[in-house]
Amino acid sequence: MKGTIILLALFFLSESKGVINWLQNHLLLCPFKQTLGIDCPGCGIQRSILELVQGNFIASFKLYPATLPIITLFIFTIVHLKFDFKNGAFFIKMLYIGITLIIVINYIYKIFTHQLI
Amino acid sequence: MSEEQLEPQENQPQPTPQPTSQNPFPPQNGGFGYGMQQSLPNATVVLVLGILSIVFCCCYGILGLIPAIIALVLSKKDRALYEMNPTAYTLSSYKNLNAGRVCAIIGLILNILSLLYFVVIIIMFGTGILSDPQKLQEMLKGMQ
Repeated sequence: MKGTIILLALFFLSESKGVINWLQNHLLLCPFKQTLGIDCPGCGIQRSILELVQGNFIASFKLYPATLPIITLFIFTIVHLKFDFKNGAFFIKMLYIGITLIIVINYIYKIFTHQLI
Repeated sequence: MSEEQLEPQENQPQPTPQPTSQNPFPPQNGGFGYGMQQSLPNATVVLVLGILSIVFCCCYGILGLIPAIIALVLSKKDRALYEMNPTAYTLSSYKNLNAGRVCAIIGLILNILSLLYFVVIIIMFGTGILSDPQKLQEMLKGMQ
């Protein structure tokens, strides 16, 4: 089990971009975009995560601004459930509200700047 | 053989049953029994489901509704439990529960909005195509 994890980490950290290249060619298709040809509020998160794995923070922010907060929310929730911080629940609530605001504002911004298609 | 050996042991006078109180966590030190407190049964589940509900908000809005509703129902049960006996459960788990409830409510609203948005867009596409019969025929030919 540990060996596979170390191998995976080496695979991601190594210079060969085999995994990332494979992922870029096998992204899941959004059903909303498939039927109508318009972006849904969640479109762009996979591309943005791939950019983040490669280390391009600005590109990932431009593709989908809520990626980093969502990842921090996940990690913080896991750590909070394990160690039980004093104000952890409040912090999770605020992060969640912030993420929803970012998603909604990003979508409205996309509508007004004609980036949906 | 073994049963016969065991039976006399079972027939031995059992220890007198201790008086069991209705409350399994009797209030000590003026209602603050810190040693006896336990966390609410569904607090972490509610928190995780509430957070997951936002992840699935893009998939037609239906997939995200399921965890949000489950989280709301579970949190209602646990809140009732806590209000029945506040000293028996830890305060941090109650805070977790409330955070999960808020997350589930926000996720529910967002999912319903996205579902409505999807329906409105489909209606707009449908009326737009139906008002133009030539385009409709082209579309049907394209689909074949």
